[in-house]
Formats: sequence, C-alpha cells, structure tokens
Amino acid sequence: MIDPVTRSLWIYRLTFFAIANAILFWHLLPLSHDAGRLPGPNWMLALAFAWVMRRQDYAPIWLIAIVILIEDFLMMRPPGLWTALVVVACEFIRMRSVLMRELNFVAEWALISGLMLGIVLVYRIIFAITFLPQVSFGFALVQVLWSIAAYPLVVFVTRYVLALHKPSMGEVDAYGRRF
Amino acid sequence: MAKNQGDSDAFTGPWRLVLVMALVSVLLAMFFLWRVDNTRMERLRMGLIDQVAPAIHWAAAPITWANNVARDFQSYSRLYEQNQQLREELRQMKAWKEAALQLEQKNARLLDLNKVRLDPRLTHLTGIVLADSGSPFRQSVLINAGARDGVMDGWAAMDGLGLVGRISGVGEKTSRVILLTDNNSRLPVVVQPSGQRAILSGDNSPLPPLDFIENPDALRAGDLVFSSADGGVFPAGLAVGKVVVQADKRLRVRLEADMNRLEYLRIMRSRPMEAINDAGALVRPNLPVQGPPAPDQIAP
Repeated sequence: MIDPVTRSLWIYRLTFFAIANAILFWHLLPLSHDAGRLPGPNWMLALAFAWVMRRQDYAPIWLIAIVILIEDFLMMRPPGLWTALVVVACEFIRMRSVLMRELNFVAEWALISGLMLGIVLVYRIIFAITFLPQVSFGFALVQVLWSIAAYPLVVFVTRYVLALHKPSMGEVDAYGRRF
Repeated sequence: MAKNQGDSDAFTGPWRLVLVMALVSVLLAMFFLWRVDNTRMERLRMGLIDQVAPAIHWAAAPITWANNVARDFQSYSRLYEQNQQLREELRQMKAWKEAALQLEQKNARLLDLNKVRLDPRLTHLTGIVLADSGSPFRQSVLINAGARDGVMDGWAAMDGLGLVGRISGVGEKTSRVILLTDNNSRLPVVVQPSGQRAILSGDNSPLPPLDFIENPDALRAGDLVFSSADGGVFPAGLAVGKVVVQADKRLRVRLEADMNRLEYLRIMRSRPMEAINDAGALVRPNLPVQGPPAPDQIAP
C-alpha cells in the first residue's frame, strides 16, 4: 500500500505533466494561421512559476526541464536555451520560497513579473550575441505583459481548483522533514 | 531526529546546486550544438514532431470540426448579402470563362505553332495540414506527407490559389512548411509586367515586404508577383500575390493564397536544374592543348 503523502505527490506531478501537455496541444491545433496576430500569454511559464512558488516538490526541476524542452522542440525554438533560463528562474524562486511564504500575493506577483521580464531580456540578448533572427521587441514585450496579467488567473486555478497551496507551518514532506 | 534532518539538508543543498548547474550546462550545450550543427538537431526535432503530429491530428479532429462549424455559422448572419455578391461574381465569371476558353484555344494553337516544350516533370502531391507552429512568433504548418512520399527540402507548397511557402524539415510521415510570412522566409520573386527581380522576405506580418528591388520606381500597386528560379531549386512562375504600397512607402505583397484557412496544400515536385558544365563539342573540340605544358604537368 502506498502511503497517502507519496501518492498525492505523484498525483500532483502527473497533473502538472497533463496540464502542460494540454497547453501544448492547444497551441498546436491548426485553428488559425494569421500572421501578425498579437501573442497571448505564455501559459506554460506562468504554470511552472506558480507551482514552484507553491510546492516545489510537486513540480521538481527535472519535470519542468522535460516539459519545457518538449515545448522548445515542438514550437520551433532553439532547443535548450529557453529551458535553461526557465530552470534557472525556477531555482531562483525555490531558493526564496521560504521567504515568499511569509509575504502576500502582491510581493509574489512583483517577483514573478520581474523574473518573466528578466528571462525574456536575457533570451533576446543571447539571440543577439549568436546572430539569430528574432521578432521585434514590442511583440515579445506584449507576450510578457500578457503573461504577467495571466499569472493571478493561473494562481487562482492552482489554489482553488487544484487545492495547491503554500505549505503551512509544521507540514511535513514524504520523508517526514518539515518544509 | 532534528539533528539528522539538519544533516540531510546540509547534504542535499550543495549537491542539488551542482545537479542543477549540470542540468543547465547540458541544456546550454544543446543550444550551442544546435547553433553550430543545425541540421543534426533539426533532424532530431523532425523525428520528435513525426511522432507527435499524427496523434495531434487524430485528437484535434473534433475541435477543428467544431471551430469550422462555428465559423460557418457566423457567415449565416449575412446570408443574403453573400448570395447577392456570389450572383454578381458568377455573372462576371461567365464572361471570364468565355474569354478563357478562347484564350486557351489560341494559346494551344500558338504553342503548337512554335513547338514549345512544357516542363513535363512539374507534378504535385497533396498533403493535409496537421498542426500549427504553436508559437505566435513562427509561421509554419505541419503536413501529413514526408520522406516516404518522396518530399524533399526546398519544394514549393501552394494552396489552390497561390504559393504558401516551402518545405523545410522532412520527417518520415510529416514535413514542415515554412510560410512566406515567417521571419526566416526569403523567396526570390519576379514582378510582372516590369520584370523586376526582388526578394520577398517574411517579417511575421500578413503582408510580407519586397527587398532588394532593382528599381522600386518601376513597380506599381497591383503588379503581379511570381516566384523566380533564381534560387536554383524553386520552380519559376508560381503565382505569389499582388504588390501593395503601405503608408510607410514600403512595397509589400498581398498573398494570393488564403493563409487563414490552410487545409490542403499542394506540394510541387521540383528537381534542381541540370547544370551545363561542358563546353560543347562543336564549340571547342577536345584537342590536345597546344603551347607550353600546364604548370602541374612540369612537376616530376
């Protein structure tokens, strides 16, 4: 018999993987090919950040790396670069998660906004250094703004539909350690 | 217990950092490998897409169907206008049809008179659009024809009306068509009737601009744009679109193809043109060279 803590851990990991796949599937649907349409939010990024911020053991770094790498390959991005940046950003959040537990949502949102903008800037700088063609800055900025706007929605769904919240005082993980 | 716990944290902490750094280095190495040795990584990518795309097509069928129904339903609201418009167009078309028939007969007579030989190898195959590029920054589609159907990189893709893009990336069962509107798309074109050559370079907007025009003053809005064989691989004379002039005075092209509704794509088989590299026996017969021997023959 699997103990309930381990079971809920793997159920949540599978849920993360399933949501990520659903996002990818939605993006790949051949519904519209208009060029020059303004980009929507980067749901995948918001999802990864929201989960790492809440329960990093439910969205471990290897799972995030796999999901974003698949996204890299399917969406014709240079493979690896965006994944590396997201992994670094998630590590950054993880290291601050103890501090963030004390703070309210506005502080969290500010941190996430800064990170989203930051990794897009680094991404574009590396593109420029390696002489890769890239879309105009305004276009990329629209996507960042949308992602920032979409973050509270993702958090809301995570918190109230999936019941995923920041660990409360004295909660223990599968090995009986406190968070 | 509490002491143990502290130890284990101290132990996993640094190791975790090392592991994460190793993961990031592997990912960055992958990116630089892609930058240096693009074709191998792209082949890997096409392999992955080859696995995923047919599954998407199968799962997406009901959703795309519902979307199309919704779109068609919207058009019911202006049924009357549409009907009038279609009648009007039909009347015009009848006149055009008559003219076309006469022209066809005339053309056939003239071709026969001149003994013109048409290229018999320009045939096509048809593919169904499986999936989108997924990203708003890239303009491409996946079709369900791949290496097993003989599709090769660089072939032209058209819908019924005009050029859509070119094949870039071929998997076993699927291949990717980079649309003319993509950032990376460059197509040598010729503008008629002035015969100016230019490059149609996609910039992620619905109207791709014309670059490197010999004489921009010779172009007018409404001129027809065709593909040219300057690249060496692309078949010449495929309809691309019409020239439009934007407010910023840039010459752009309104594409003939209906980029909004790509469903079936026609892939034009084309072979690279045969290179003519011998001088021709009549012009210069193969005689022994006269005069002093070539420098490389003097060496012992």
